[in-house]
Amino acid sequence: MIEINEQEYGANIAFDELLDENRQPRPAARALFNYLNALPPGELESRREAVEAAILTMGITFTVYSEGTNIDRAWPFDIVPRTIAKNEWLRIEEGLKQRLTALNLFINDLYNEQKIVKDGVFPLEVLAGSKNFRTQCKGITPRFGVWAHICGTDLVRDKDGVVYVLEDNLRVPSGVSYMLGNREVMKRLFPEIFQASLILPVDDYPTQLYDTLAALSPRETSWPVIAVLTPGIFNSAYFEHSYLAQQMGAYLVEGSDLIVDKDNCVYMKTVTGLTRVDVIYRRIDDDFLDPEAFRSDSALGVPGLMRAWREGNVGIANAPGSGVADDKVVYTYVPQIIQYYLNQEPILANVPSYLCMFEDQREYVLANLDKLVVKPANESGGYGMLIGPRATPEERDQFAALIRENPRNYMAQPTLDISTAPTLAGNQLVPRHLDLRPFVLQSDRLFVTTGGLTRVAMKAGSLVVNSSQGGGSKDTWIVDTEE
Amino acid sequence: MLSRVAENLYWMARYLERGENTARLINTTTKLLLDLPRGASFGWDVLLKVAGLDSEFHKNYDEANESNIMRFLIEDPRNPSSIMACTRLARENTRSFREVLPNEMWERINSLYLYVKQNAPRAVSGRGQRYQVLNTIIEGRQSIVGLLFGSMSHDLAYQFLKLGRNLERADMTTRILDVNSAILTPGGDVLPESIQERLWMSVLTTLSAYQMYRRHVGVHIQPDKVVSYMLINQDFPRTVLHCLGELEGCLAALPHNTTPMRTVRRAWRRTAGMKVAGLTPVVLHEYLDQIQTDLAAIHDRVAEQYFYLHHHNDAQTQTATNQ
Repeated sequence: MIEINEQEYGANIAFDELLDENRQPRPAARALFNYLNALPPGELESRREAVEAAILTMGITFTVYSEGTNIDRAWPFDIVPRTIAKNEWLRIEEGLKQRLTALNLFINDLYNEQKIVKDGVFPLEVLAGSKNFRTQCKGITPRFGVWAHICGTDLVRDKDGVVYVLEDNLRVPSGVSYMLGNREVMKRLFPEIFQASLILPVDDYPTQLYDTLAALSPRETSWPVIAVLTPGIFNSAYFEHSYLAQQMGAYLVEGSDLIVDKDNCVYMKTVTGLTRVDVIYRRIDDDFLDPEAFRSDSALGVPGLMRAWREGNVGIANAPGSGVADDKVVYTYVPQIIQYYLNQEPILANVPSYLCMFEDQREYVLANLDKLVVKPANESGGYGMLIGPRATPEERDQFAALIRENPRNYMAQPTLDISTAPTLAGNQLVPRHLDLRPFVLQSDRLFVTTGGLTRVAMKAGSLVVNSSQGGGSKDTWIVDTEE
Repeated sequence: MLSRVAENLYWMARYLERGENTARLINTTTKLLLDLPRGASFGWDVLLKVAGLDSEFHKNYDEANESNIMRFLIEDPRNPSSIMACTRLARENTRSFREVLPNEMWERINSLYLYVKQNAPRAVSGRGQRYQVLNTIIEGRQSIVGLLFGSMSHDLAYQFLKLGRNLERADMTTRILDVNSAILTPGGDVLPESIQERLWMSVLTTLSAYQMYRRHVGVHIQPDKVVSYMLINQDFPRTVLHCLGELEGCLAALPHNTTPMRTVRRAWRRTAGMKVAGLTPVVLHEYLDQIQTDLAAIHDRVAEQYFYLHHHNDAQTQTATNQ
């Protein structure tokens, strides 16, 4: 019998993903709880140890910089999965496809006719202040008109049970390898549950990613040469780069492995000479992609890569400049963007937001800093945020000054009571806050991962789920409850 | 296959082989010392000479005693050839080409690394646990070779692994044979015959060749026969000639192999022609020097032919050299 920590659950006012108001398992979690309750005492604890050993051996790691040296940390993992009912998931999936379709139309419009600006739906001043709008990309329409081929969208659920989109990561979103790794670990250690309940599989992501990328090949060939471009072994997501390359059977390359020749094609340096590359899945930021076009001091990129791409001689995913839509101010316009391009109501809700660039909204934000979460427009990984209710008055004053100095760079949202899920602490279940990052693919097709990566704050009450700041993760189950 | 990946594969194989050989060398020496009479003019520092790490060691340590030398050879990160450093480098290299190796390979090498990290201090601290720890390391490394042998297609990646392994192995064999010229310095005291025999026996044991030598050569340990066996026998997998034959086989499976192949064949002919009967330590040392020079030349030719592109950025030179 698995025990729920009454004290922590009694004080939990958030929506719990697995347990209802009476602390009974929701339908999608019933099979899981039956299983957990039937385990002999001590069994869960020993499985947890086995999981940790498996993660260490499988080498599922991420790198932390902040401690002076680069340290490989084992991936923190909670063995109690997060469940979502299949019928709810299907609606979220539709919402994610709708959102990415609209965002890609938006990016392509911005780099070409800018109709949305001319029609007065999207203000010119927001575009003008965008750090990630790349003038080098103007006038280009990549294949299928798609710029962001891989998108990681962060979702949270508020206490009313509504799922909100928190942000769209359109630059180089990471985490999908952990989603796959989590499932692999769970299958190794809990094979019985997968036999007993209807948990949808997640493992066709590498194939889908391969097909998405292959569709971008400029050459008509059944075996395009696909390369994953990594900044190298010291990058925090290196594990993921090598994992995906391996799963797809693609080459894992660094900038120094590639050159752009006089014919404006990209080649990689092999033991038999130069081999043409058709598609690059790049995992380095725009700034470092091509020292000829962007930062000239970059040693990570490939000189001439932008030339080759502009000429249509190589596919790049995500396309340079996609980050323009990965901006927390642009985010606030996504409902209008969906309306404008698709003439549809958004299926997934945005969190209500205040833009500091507009005076009335800024004044509201400054007057209510103790109630709001303030985010910089272009940071990721949870850096540079203010969580108003938890900040000291001094911190709030400092942030007020930052906002006044650069209003375009900040937006604010009400503090959500992010949902929780039962997480193992000792031999009890305690509520911990979590989010969900599904991955969405688009080229000649649209695809959404089954579920995604669930990130969980491992400390009581904490809302920070980022692995770089001590968060952990859970396997995510989309459960078919209808049979 | 990317030049960079080929080079990393090659070095990974060398590091793994080197780590295992160092573990073997330490194990045999630890046992040998138990058998030698007091006052034999031989100490732990001979290990440093064999490994070619003499000056590197003295840069970092004052006294060449057992515990310093063990620390240096087993776990010191400042020694790029220490077992710890070799395993770590092999693991780091593996991370950079997980996509070309069987999936389990990463798990094995990662486990080996975790084992070394956790247990190296035990191997340093005393002879009691040293043998067991080093043996586990040797086993771990052999399970990796077994995995590659059993589950990797014999593609380019495989050939580069094999190149690195055999080059390192031949090199180590010459170093271990050279151990006696490190002890029997010309003009110095000549060791009693019984001790000499022990030394040669330990050479064979280090190379896992003792049993095969007895079966195929004879029960008596005769210096020139040992040398001849380890240099020019073609059947035992750690002899110089056998390794050179393996290198030839690898190169035959690689494109653009003319220049490195020529170097390997020259080394082969030179080694096969060495006259071993009545060998003096001085001549042996010269022979071994010659082989080491040849091995270095093979490395250089391989690097020029296959790793070259990785170190250059001008497209035109690249196209020119790869016609």
